[in-house]
Amino acid sequence: MANLSLKHIYKVYPNGAKAVNDFNMQIADKEFIVFVGPSGCGKSTTLRMIAGLEEITAGELMIGDTVVNGMEPKDRDIAMVFQNYALYPHMTIFENIAFGLRMRKIPDVKRDKEGNPVLDKDGREIPVMRRYNKQELTAKVNEAAEILGITEYLKRKPKEMSGGQRQRVALGRAIVRHPKVMLLDEPLSNLDAKLRTQMRSEIVKLHKKLQTTFIYVTHDQVEAMTMGTRIVVMKDGFVKQIDTPKNLYRYPANKFVAGFIGTPQMNFFQGTLKKEGDEVVIAFKWSDAKITVPYSMLMKTTPQYLDGTKTVYIGFRAEDVSLDEEQVKASKAKIKVRISHSEELGTETLVYGDINMNGDGFEETNTRVIIKSAGFKEYQPDAVYEAALNLEAIHLFDLDTEESIMPRIPEYNYLDCTVREGNLTFLGNTVSLPDAVACGDGKGELLIPVSAVGFGGAVKANVIGCEEINGRFLVSLDVNGGRLYALSDEVREKGETTIGLDFKKLIVKVGGTEVSPMPLVNALSGTFVAEKRKIDGAKETHYYFSINGTKVEVPAEVYRKMFAATSGRKVYNSVYRYEWDPYGLAVAESGIEAEAVETLDYGEEKFLKCKAGEETLYVKCERPMSGKVYLAPDAGKVSVVESERQIRIV
Amino acid sequence: MNQAKMKVAKAKTQKVLNILITYCILVVVAFVFFFPCMWLVLASFSKSGSIYSFDGFFPAEYGFDAFRTLFTDTVMYDYPKWFLNTLFIASMSCIIGTVLTILTAYCMSRFRFKSRKAMMKTTLVLGMFPSFMGTIAVYLMMTQFNLINQHWGLILIYSAQAPMGYMVQKGFFDTIPYSIDEAARIDGASNFTVFVKFILPLSKPILVYTALTAFTWPWSDFILPKMLLIDKNLYTVAVGLMSLGETEFARFAAGSIFIAIPIIVLYFCLVKYMINGMAAGAVKE
Repeated sequence: MANLSLKHIYKVYPNGAKAVNDFNMQIADKEFIVFVGPSGCGKSTTLRMIAGLEEITAGELMIGDTVVNGMEPKDRDIAMVFQNYALYPHMTIFENIAFGLRMRKIPDVKRDKEGNPVLDKDGREIPVMRRYNKQELTAKVNEAAEILGITEYLKRKPKEMSGGQRQRVALGRAIVRHPKVMLLDEPLSNLDAKLRTQMRSEIVKLHKKLQTTFIYVTHDQVEAMTMGTRIVVMKDGFVKQIDTPKNLYRYPANKFVAGFIGTPQMNFFQGTLKKEGDEVVIAFKWSDAKITVPYSMLMKTTPQYLDGTKTVYIGFRAEDVSLDEEQVKASKAKIKVRISHSEELGTETLVYGDINMNGDGFEETNTRVIIKSAGFKEYQPDAVYEAALNLEAIHLFDLDTEESIMPRIPEYNYLDCTVREGNLTFLGNTVSLPDAVACGDGKGELLIPVSAVGFGGAVKANVIGCEEINGRFLVSLDVNGGRLYALSDEVREKGETTIGLDFKKLIVKVGGTEVSPMPLVNALSGTFVAEKRKIDGAKETHYYFSINGTKVEVPAEVYRKMFAATSGRKVYNSVYRYEWDPYGLAVAESGIEAEAVETLDYGEEKFLKCKAGEETLYVKCERPMSGKVYLAPDAGKVSVVESERQIRIV
Repeated sequence: MNQAKMKVAKAKTQKVLNILITYCILVVVAFVFFFPCMWLVLASFSKSGSIYSFDGFFPAEYGFDAFRTLFTDTVMYDYPKWFLNTLFIASMSCIIGTVLTILTAYCMSRFRFKSRKAMMKTTLVLGMFPSFMGTIAVYLMMTQFNLINQHWGLILIYSAQAPMGYMVQKGFFDTIPYSIDEAARIDGASNFTVFVKFILPLSKPILVYTALTAFTWPWSDFILPKMLLIDKNLYTVAVGLMSLGETEFARFAAGSIFIAIPIIVLYFCLVKYMINGMAAGAVKE
């Protein structure tokens, strides 16, 4: 019965091993969240940090409206079910379930022997804390036991029960307290397959009944897909993607998620993309296979990959490749597959093959293909068949980063443009460029980040679609027949609207020159120092960021977090990276010394480009300036990253 | 066919021979172990006190005289008093020592603190030295504390030394799954509640073992009481028996036999708790 908020959560062990890296998530009330990933990915550690069994190195964890970082597990009002049940072996099942209640005190008023409230001299009831009495305890335990169907076993000891029953007791122990959050750490992995399926649906039923926030850890993607309202996929301490099961399956954000979710695993090929007019040619590596895709299907693809030189991963799920004759006949995207063997699964047949005519189809290579086909259909081994690809379901990933290059929210709008005498023409519209975006005349390319398209401006546009993605809205716009994507925080109705561009973020490539966007992060290295002062006999300690010899006083909430994240005196010996956006620094009488290099005029806003030592800083300013300036940082808007362990502390 | 039969017969004789040899060795070993005990028991029932009046190896005449004098003739040698002294020292050391050992082992097993490893290694190395190596230092310290010729001095030393052997207990606690602690802590238990309500009930076998060892050491120790106790009235049985005259051998034997009885009784009382499988059913194995 509470929402959770995890902000920049890190777990670093004393030996330097990083178990969890920058975990960010908002969990709404009554959600069923599943953490999934291979073993050692940090999912259990995250759960244990929420439970309070593991200390949080840096970051902020909130349950409801309270920050619970330093709080004892018992005060967090959570319950946990362990993988190995962790029942109390010397207690009966009744005592096992009742123990949590016995430890707790509930608010009540002072009562006399008959149970009537005792009033103080003003006639008010006197509030006291008391333990549960026997009747209440029995009623609560029986209620929990009834939900889980273990009423008849209450007098037994754990060792007299089977695995499934023990896990029910563990669940009973958790639900009897009506906790704010239920944490389950691989609760089903010790049960046999049949029991696991049964308990799985029972836990889902329990979640519906209790209306509590559930956080469930598993390494089994089937469990994750069937149970969660949202799934967090983790690997090596990093969150790979957070989304609903449907979206994870349809829009995996990287190759890991694409391969982890779904059985059989997604087929990955390597190949290149080349845009030719309105079409894109996909050429597969180590094979003669080539398919042509209309560009409209790959609109969201990051443009740099479309020049035919960069190798990318191309992914198709087994059900998106078909050997069905009619589908092959109708399809435009056909590839030749040499069949090697097949696995009969009853309702369907998994056909293994290779798009490389010399491949063997057994080894997991970048040419091997698994095809889902109708049950008991036979295919000749070593024969070459034509297979149809479902282009709607194509997935593309970068070869090195393995991130999707066709994200649901595209990074850039990729347009042709003309610049003449400081005026930019794109999609039939002409806008005047501010002084800061100075480039020569000519034809070229314009990259508009989706976040740089704002609503309410000079350019007329037509809303033709609006799609909700992770709480934000991706709006498809039609501008004089050209397509433009924009991000919005609210739903946009179809129809006419006006848009404007944020010139700070544009990339303009015209006539051999490239105007890059203004960086939004000013990073400075520095240390953390303490100074003791005596004021009127009382000692006071003040804390400062020391940047290039300048001291910036640190507010209490910031330095407390810094102390919490480091042990002992290490906080004074570490090097930090302090980051501010251009609005977090201001030109002032004193502060960090810098040399003003250039004034960037974006029309409504002006920014000063300065040099402080090696670093280049951008600061918002009112008027053009030059020479020596002093920059005063706003200590409240800082974000602090410890350089050695790469931990974001604030 | 015939050959097969012969092989079977050969195997049989081999088997019988094996058993015979095994039992022979066992009988010899048992005799070596039990003969001194038996001899002592027989000596305690000797009618005359001196060892010189024995008829060869065994006493000439048997009777209960030695046991009678042990408890009645208390003017010179007050055996009942010594017995009570020993019982007091051993019981107190047993109680305090067990509590300290169990707590130490629990801390070492469950908590992670600075210098934990260093402390464990130090105790391990210190445990390698025989305890009487520090006798003189202990004597000097006891004179400083003014605890010479006092029972509490002995109890202090025994109790303080007991936790040095916490390793066995720690090993036992390590086998109790840590998730039980965690589950209890989430349920609202403090560290102390976890210890009292979960760890102790699950550790009965090791508690009994600890108590027995903590009792038997002071019960049969000789060096420390001999050094620290001066007054004859304060003697423990071991020291007292040593002070018996040369002609009192039967009494010595009787005293030695009688002193074994409490330990035997204690063992039979506690042995039923030393069963295995206390933690069965807690977690999935």
